[in-house]
Amino acid sequence: MTNAGVQELSTLERPLEAPLEWPGERLVKPCKRRLRLRDLLREMPVVRVLASRDLKVKYKQSLLGPLWLFFQPLALLAGFLVAFQHFAGVKISGQPYAVFVLVGLSVWSYFQAALTIGTASLVTNMNLVRYTACPRLAFPMSSVLSSLPTYAVTATGALAATAATGHLSLRILLLPAVLVWLALLTGACIAILSTLTVRYRDVTSALPFLLQVGVFLAPVGYPLSQLSPTVRAIIDLNPVAGVIEAARWVMLSGYEPPAAPIIVSAGVTALLMAVSWRFFSLRETTMADDI
Amino acid sequence: MAVTTRYESRDVAVHAEGLRKRYRLGQHRSLQQTVKRLLPGPSAPPTFEALAGIDLVCHRGEAIGFVGINGSGKSTFLQILAGSVLPTSGQMRVRGRVLPLLAVGQGFHPELTGYENVTLFASALGFRRRMIAERMEAVAAFAELGRHMETPVKRFSTGMISRLSFSVGMMFPADIYIFDEVLAVVDAEFQGRCLEEIKRLHRSGRTVFFVSHNRAQMAEICERIIWLEHGAVRDHGPAPEVLDAYEREHGPTEHGPEGANRRVGPARLRRRPR
Repeated sequence: MTNAGVQELSTLERPLEAPLEWPGERLVKPCKRRLRLRDLLREMPVVRVLASRDLKVKYKQSLLGPLWLFFQPLALLAGFLVAFQHFAGVKISGQPYAVFVLVGLSVWSYFQAALTIGTASLVTNMNLVRYTACPRLAFPMSSVLSSLPTYAVTATGALAATAATGHLSLRILLLPAVLVWLALLTGACIAILSTLTVRYRDVTSALPFLLQVGVFLAPVGYPLSQLSPTVRAIIDLNPVAGVIEAARWVMLSGYEPPAAPIIVSAGVTALLMAVSWRFFSLRETTMADDI
Repeated sequence: MAVTTRYESRDVAVHAEGLRKRYRLGQHRSLQQTVKRLLPGPSAPPTFEALAGIDLVCHRGEAIGFVGINGSGKSTFLQILAGSVLPTSGQMRVRGRVLPLLAVGQGFHPELTGYENVTLFASALGFRRRMIAERMEAVAAFAELGRHMETPVKRFSTGMISRLSFSVGMMFPADIYIFDEVLAVVDAEFQGRCLEEIKRLHRSGRTVFFVSHNRAQMAEICERIIWLEHGAVRDHGPAPEVLDAYEREHGPTEHGPEGANRRVGPARLRRRPR
């Protein structure tokens, strides 16, 4: 750009802008809660920008860029093949073990990726929280969106493997519903965890190993039917377990999902959504002070 | 030099009544502190009143400056006005869209390019994509960062980051503008342009809140000065008088055209990698 061009646009030559229309009054006073459900829609533009920022930042100054999306699930799949199939001798009836695992992984890797960015989302945007009125809920919500590529990659892999081995079910049309369920569950968890992180950074330390353990406490690499009743009762309580089973039921023909984890997960999801909404809206007013 | 006073406007832009903000002193509640609080004995953590009851009326189209030593409550007041912090008690009525510049490079992400950061920051302020796209070139031109806008902000110098965040503030429409010591690190030439631009905003009827530790800038921009001390209004009135009174107490602030601007020569643009 030439210097003349700069001068032309900057300061003195531009005409004065007419005053804006004088909008209504905003009353700022102490309050416990101010978040309304309808604010969610108004915040969507910011959520989109934040989500695309998350995506861009993730692969900046990275040689392989989005190719990394493929490596993590592939490595986990390889690990499961060795540990569960060859070592523990897990048997799956109906479809190949790799197909069974890939469907589970599609759910789990999304959950893991979204929780990892989402929990830190408020703290990493500390300056926006402290110095602007940017809606606080936009930060956790954006991580629900920005992790969707992770889901897309593994789900496509799972879908391709299922179709190639001839096990694809017509129920696949219900997959969007499972995805919505997964996003709601993940969003509720992120809202709670990111709010906790504002006060207690302990969450940042605890999360990685909890997620590491979590993949073994969910029926990703093994079927629930092969567990002893006591262990099974524990795993059934994991809210992700139900989503994984629902995803398998939707994708794999002839798959008979256990009812218990699905019912438990649906209940826990509803509960977490209510709790997280209340918790977030109570805490959101003081985030700029606490962070 | 000083802009003519225009108190004729009757519209109230900002009206604060008994505004208080209390903070807890010391660290956040750790486990140790939580346990201590459960034990008998004096438990209430010491608090600090950043704002100790402020009553203030600012009219539409006024240019208002805040003076006061560090920790006197200037930034807390402006944070409440910006909408990021709620008061502990009291209230504030705000009429109009607020565009706050409270810190240099607030919310910029080091890995993102200049363009991407403008989009991010402007979205956080509530502007829509279309308007951001329309104003992007104006922002880049005002910051004079043309070639550097595609470079990640982490390679920018502090002055360049400051230029960029200031340009976002200048090129987007609002009714109430807040500038909290954001001109400290830019060079003299850019400071001059920013001051001109702030005066233009003021002339076109916008309300301006301005904080600087530089007397010349305060006198040039502000019609009215509010002197804060320990979170309360110590004095307020026409700029020269309050500035004189403030300087009598705290010694002269940076002065005159030489001292006013830390000259760092022409825009020092840092290398681009490769």
